[in-house]
Amino acid sequence: MRPQNSDMGLIVKTMARATIPLIGIFGAYVIVHGHITPGGGFQGGATIAGAGVLFLVAFGLSEAKEKINKNFYSVLEGIGGLVFLTAGMLGLGVVFFYNVLWHKGPVFNGEAGTLLSAGYLPIMNLAVGLKVYTGLVSALFAIALFRRWKK
Amino acid sequence: MIAFQFVTAFLMIFMGLYAFLYKRNLIKLILALNLVDAGIHLLLISLGYRLENGLLPTAPIYTGYETLKGTPMVGPIPQALVLTSIVIGVCVLSLAMALTVNAYQQYETLDVSKLRRLRG
Amino acid sequence: MNVLPWVIITPLFGAFSMPVISLLGGKFRGHWAVIVSGLTLGIAAKVFYTIWKSNEILVYTLGDTNPIGNGVKFPIRIIWEVDLFGALLALTVTFVSFLAILYSLEYMKHDTGLDKYYALTLVLELGMIGIVITGDIFNFYVFLEIMSIASYALVAFRNDTWEGIEAGVKYMFVGSLASSFILLGIALLYGQYGTLTMAYLAMKIAENPTLISKVALAFLVGGLLFKSGAVPVHMWLSDAHPAAPSSISAMLSGLVIKAGGVYAIARIIFGIFNPGLHSYLKAFDMPALNLNTLGWIIIFFACLTLVIGNAMAVVQNDMKRLFAFSSVGQIGYILLGFGIGIVAYGDKIGEIALTGAVYHIVNHAVIKGLLFFIAGAVIHQVGTKNLNELSGLARRMPFTTLSFIIGAAAIIGLPPLNGFASKWLIYESSAMYNPILAVIAVIGTVFSLAAYTRVLFTFLGVESEKVKMVKEPGNAMIVPMLVLVIIILVMGILSWQISDKIMLPTAKMLEQLNGEYIMALLKFIGGG
Repeated sequence: MRPQNSDMGLIVKTMARATIPLIGIFGAYVIVHGHITPGGGFQGGATIAGAGVLFLVAFGLSEAKEKINKNFYSVLEGIGGLVFLTAGMLGLGVVFFYNVLWHKGPVFNGEAGTLLSAGYLPIMNLAVGLKVYTGLVSALFAIALFRRWKK
Repeated sequence: MIAFQFVTAFLMIFMGLYAFLYKRNLIKLILALNLVDAGIHLLLISLGYRLENGLLPTAPIYTGYETLKGTPMVGPIPQALVLTSIVIGVCVLSLAMALTVNAYQQYETLDVSKLRRLRG
Repeated sequence: MNVLPWVIITPLFGAFSMPVISLLGGKFRGHWAVIVSGLTLGIAAKVFYTIWKSNEILVYTLGDTNPIGNGVKFPIRIIWEVDLFGALLALTVTFVSFLAILYSLEYMKHDTGLDKYYALTLVLELGMIGIVITGDIFNFYVFLEIMSIASYALVAFRNDTWEGIEAGVKYMFVGSLASSFILLGIALLYGQYGTLTMAYLAMKIAENPTLISKVALAFLVGGLLFKSGAVPVHMWLSDAHPAAPSSISAMLSGLVIKAGGVYAIARIIFGIFNPGLHSYLKAFDMPALNLNTLGWIIIFFACLTLVIGNAMAVVQNDMKRLFAFSSVGQIGYILLGFGIGIVAYGDKIGEIALTGAVYHIVNHAVIKGLLFFIAGAVIHQVGTKNLNELSGLARRMPFTTLSFIIGAAAIIGLPPLNGFASKWLIYESSAMYNPILAVIAVIGTVFSLAAYTRVLFTFLGVESEKVKMVKEPGNAMIVPMLVLVIIILVMGILSWQISDKIMLPTAKMLEQLNGEYIMALLKFIGGG
């Protein structure tokens, strides 16, 4: 059996170094443009989590252990959820999830189709993207870290 | 006439049910659950796709250019429903995978019929 | 300002902030969960009081003040539609969850990963509250899945024991398949009628009842019977409920199979496929669904459930497994009440049966919560749940034994306690409708009496080796048990007053002889 901390060799590592930023940028694009193009927080977050998986596979578990702090990711996930909840609560003076920013807000009230429009939707997409990315990476990392029972 | 996508959707659902009832490997059971879910998603998505006056519908999402005048739109609600359902499916999938890893550690097998110590 | 959204916001905020709170230190997590669930209990009580006082259905639209879209005449937004039944269930859910979280402060003290435990418990509570307040069928599915996923994870929470893992795997696969059936039913209804709002769906189905709606109803009720643990498919329940930590068992047995099972069945049948509406249509020779068949199917499964569940409880050696089978039996009584409520719709008998069923949901949540807390106290102090090793516990744990006597007497249905009133209403209505059903119900109770007497004799028997050194558990475990004992006694003394003041209006609002559930939405359409 292959030792636990092995990485994937030079070729894969170099390719991963080149592609991880690109995947990250593409995911960020999908998140930011979530309210005007197909896509959104979940899709973009899952794309960025793909970069996390690539990192984990290419560089091995020991390298990932140094870079990924589980508690930090857990806190980030909680913060993503809290931001989503707060965005929903902004319009609580009218009703829950009322899009107060779009109707009479200071920001994100532009014409439909521009980037700074759609009220709370960009904020929610960012929050969901953060939550999905951290959640998926934490889940995959937890499964990868799982105790090896054959020893 | 029943559109072929409905036939495909129900075929997928029944294939998933068959696999769920007759397969014993835990991983295959997870795949069976996903197959059932995928069939239902296909059913929901195809419900939003309807021809009006013989014209093909376009996606409702604003992409910067106008949709053709008189062209029908696909229903946006089924897409939102399917997206929600996919997210739920991912949650179930990851939890099932984690449980499978744990079950393999405890029982050293993936055969679901061997998981019956609880008969008491 | 309307307090209804806070009943969702508070537990959601509590669950999301749990990782941040746990940075402050391990001790704060439990206290934070207790504070959050206590606040939720207060808000749910306020909602219940408001609706009970005004006796009107509360409609709350998400995202805008009006559920009707601009320029169209049908609802396009997600609505929450809370009637007295939903509010009563929300109150019960928050109350038992609060006590369960308080109880876990001491019961779960020695476990690790507690921030996840408390976050999942709050999410479980949130899912159940969402199910009972929602008025949109897809929103209902989402909350059902939130609840189900949290409960799968909590059943397998102690993932270093084979018991939890095996039960979790079984529960997860059966539950996911049932959820898929429910989603398929919802998809069929959406495809046929093009709407997801329950009240509007009810109107659409009455206008054009097709075969598809029958198939969808079959899928929905089938999936929900899976989730409520009716007999041919109860195997997951008797595995999953004993394997979970006891505080979670109390929530699963007391709340989850009610909110995600029998409540949802009642809401779908009386809210969407209203029997009154369809018998009215039939009187005018219009196409209508015949819901009597469905009522008899539910009665059939109910009789099977209450006999087999209680009978299986007699032969168990494991205390928590015994309680779990007893839960299966009690679900049978609730389903029997709803079944008679469907076939005798609009009648006095149907009303009594529905009152009994609603009352029994609340009573069983309280009693089964107490019984699982007792089982947890015994496991925590003695370290075993095998009845053969537990003999003679009464002298060492007198309070626990006394609570058990009260809880067991209440669940069997002895007169001065709360279980008597609800069971009596179900017996009375079934005897009036069809005496054979009453005989079957009494047979179930006899089995239940045998099962609990056996546990009681074990507790009072000769002292065994294992129990020589045990003592009562700490205060955080005693207090929830004490509260539940007091609630059982008070509800027992005031049982008929509660039945008249709370349960009868609830049953009437569920039965909605004048279609109030649809009317609450029609107000908006008429005005827009």
